Amino acid sequence: MNFAFTDDQQLLKNSARTFLDAHCPSTLVRSLAEDPRGESDTLWKEMTELGWLGLALPEPYGGSGLGMVETAIVLEELGRVAYPGPYVSTILAASVIADAGTSAQKEKWLSAIATGTARAAVAFLDADLDWNPEAVATRAERAGSGWRLSGTKRFVPWAHVADALLIPARTSDGLGLFVVPASAPGISLAPMAAIDASTRWVNVKLDGVSVGGDAVLGAPGGATPLLEAALRRGAVGAAAGMLGAARRCLEMSVDYAKVREQFGQLIGSFQAIRHKCAEMLLEVENAHAATYYAAWAIDAGADDAAMAASVAKSYVGDASRKVCGEAIQVHGGIGFTWEYDLHLYFKHAKALETMYGDADHHRELIVRLVAA
Amino acid sequence: MDLNYSPEDREFRAETRRWLQANAPRQELKTLEDRRGWHRKLYDRGFIGMGWPKEYGGQNAGPMRQAIVADELARANAPAAINALGISIVGPTIIVHGTEAQKQRYLKKILTAEELWCQLYSEPNAGSDLASLKTSAEDRGDHFIVNGQKIWTSGGVIADWGLLLARTDTRVPKHKGISCFLLHMRQPGVEVRPLRQITGSAEFSEVFMTNARVEKSDLIGRLGQGWQIAQTTLSYERGGNSLARVTRYAGAFGQLLKAARTLRRGDRPLLDDPVVRAKIGRIYAELEVQRYAALRILSALEKGESPGAASSVTKLSYSEFEKRYYELVEEILGPYGQLMVPLAEDDVAVDVDTSSGSRGTWAHAFLWSRAGTIYAGSSEIQKNVIGERVLGLPKETRADRVKAGEAS
Repeated sequence: MNFAFTDDQQLLKNSARTFLDAHCPSTLVRSLAEDPRGESDTLWKEMTELGWLGLALPEPYGGSGLGMVETAIVLEELGRVAYPGPYVSTILAASVIADAGTSAQKEKWLSAIATGTARAAVAFLDADLDWNPEAVATRAERAGSGWRLSGTKRFVPWAHVADALLIPARTSDGLGLFVVPASAPGISLAPMAAIDASTRWVNVKLDGVSVGGDAVLGAPGGATPLLEAALRRGAVGAAAGMLGAARRCLEMSVDYAKVREQFGQLIGSFQAIRHKCAEMLLEVENAHAATYYAAWAIDAGADDAAMAASVAKSYVGDASRKVCGEAIQVHGGIGFTWEYDLHLYFKHAKALETMYGDADHHRELIVRLVAA
Repeated sequence: MDLNYSPEDREFRAETRRWLQANAPRQELKTLEDRRGWHRKLYDRGFIGMGWPKEYGGQNAGPMRQAIVADELARANAPAAINALGISIVGPTIIVHGTEAQKQRYLKKILTAEELWCQLYSEPNAGSDLASLKTSAEDRGDHFIVNGQKIWTSGGVIADWGLLLARTDTRVPKHKGISCFLLHMRQPGVEVRPLRQITGSAEFSEVFMTNARVEKSDLIGRLGQGWQIAQTTLSYERGGNSLARVTRYAGAFGQLLKAARTLRRGDRPLLDDPVVRAKIGRIYAELEVQRYAALRILSALEKGESPGAASSVTKLSYSEFEKRYYELVEEILGPYGQLMVPLAEDDVAVDVDTSSGSRGTWAHAFLWSRAGTIYAGSSEIQKNVIGERVLGLPKETRADRVKAGEAS
């Protein structure tokens, strides 16, 4: 039994911290917020060189063959700096291709992703925002040897910079999953500007998009378990990001409470502030336990991996909401200003709360599992 | 990270489970002698004082082994050992701070429960501010004379001995004038009155000391060292039982699910009501997080790390969770959740294990959940400790510190 990181994992964490502090400071995050594309090519290349894009991909495709724990370590650090870019969306799409792709599909996409030349995203949500894959309404109809896809996908992360979109669509055989080049005719993209400029969502309309028979991922009609597995990884990944943002907010609050004076005293000496900070620490530590337990359970193929992923997403969602919100309260007026960095992390955690199933969705999954 | 139990630990757990299946009492132990008997059986099997050094009759067992035994006892619904305070607090205090003569005189009888112990710390006017305690111990040459009142004494009625904090010097700042003693409870100057709690039962008591006598040889450590000693003993009270605690919560959760399947609202079981489902999903997530956090602590303890002030986070976390947990149960079960006596024809599971280790109804467990955020340092005290010692926030301005500063 060892809940601590191994030496290699700790090294990964430390190097990610050092790298991101230097290469993804809040000045960069702020300048990308004004950028229509919203991410930095330079940063992407550097992340690729660090091996982060292939972290959990199989070695034959340029990956390192590591797992969800390592991925979560990187994602926590990315959340800590409110990293703007298509990292999670890309590695999630890659994980689906690694799970179910043909060797041709893997050859084409995984190597490109690991070397930083392709970005990708899974379009989980249709217009009614149901995270249950069975609710997908987008349709795929046979057209000769290929397919024609029609429907609307909402809140697709970073679709505007993606080279490939993974589109779940209903077929006569059940739910299918298709790898579609983002530039395919019939696809139209519209940005969905929201509070977190580090999470870009895109409305994706598919109007009779033609793809070949080789676009089908996995067994035709058998996409549900693939998407569920991807959602579990996404849930744990989002939990890691929220954990990072929450820890950053806690640290900023504690630092501030040590220097800010009111009534002739440091505000950290007031129980009203100190007790809030203690509660924030409690939530952050529990969020750490939940996130990394779930990451480990996925890697180990533990019986409770699905449960742990839902526990992590729902618990850490609530925890980060509390911690990031209380951070603004501890700071007072300055925490409400655009100039101060706190809102970057507050908003980033807020955006992640909704992704890969919100807390309500995962609580329902928990009840199904525990009452089964 | 590797959260699998080692093959040795799995085997140890299996052995422990087998032994408990064969030996654990099937019903509640009513008399003190029956409880002593069960304690003795656990002792003979090596399950008492497992963490104590071998030279003092313990097993020198690591935290994982201790946690596994406690966890299996919880899983088997086995009655608790009888001398819990003696084993978790008094014994370790004597081992660390006691003289050789004290160790020879007391330790073995603590382990075997031949002598039962209580802890004489809190007073009516010294709760969270324990260091302001007033009970005095006056030096009379070869002995001390003790006067004062203690409260919230667990097991006071059955205790033969008490670990006592008393003031021996009123001229120095309050933390420095306290000494630690071993007080014989069976003497004319000691009167114990059971203290009935909101649960209706009396696990605690009040202890009145009127010219009670403590031998000089029963002073622990040096005069004035009592506060320091109490700080180390207080930290023995945190952390260790975490797996067993979660197992009890999980056992109660199983009962809750059963009740939510049985009770109906409208034309469907409560368990099919989306509002109830959302609540159950939330509390189960919290319960699982308690389990993960327990494993994390256990893993750190196994490596010899001392959680120190961070154990305040654990205590705050589980005790506050426990209140939310039973509040939620009450919401779901409605008046069934308030029954103090199970129905004779009981098709609704109202009989659960409480965190106090004895069997009771949901109502009993619910009422008990109010204790955890008060005893062993209230939530507010834990938050102060976390703020000051874990987060490094500035100390608050306190009236007593200002006074002590003026006096010195």
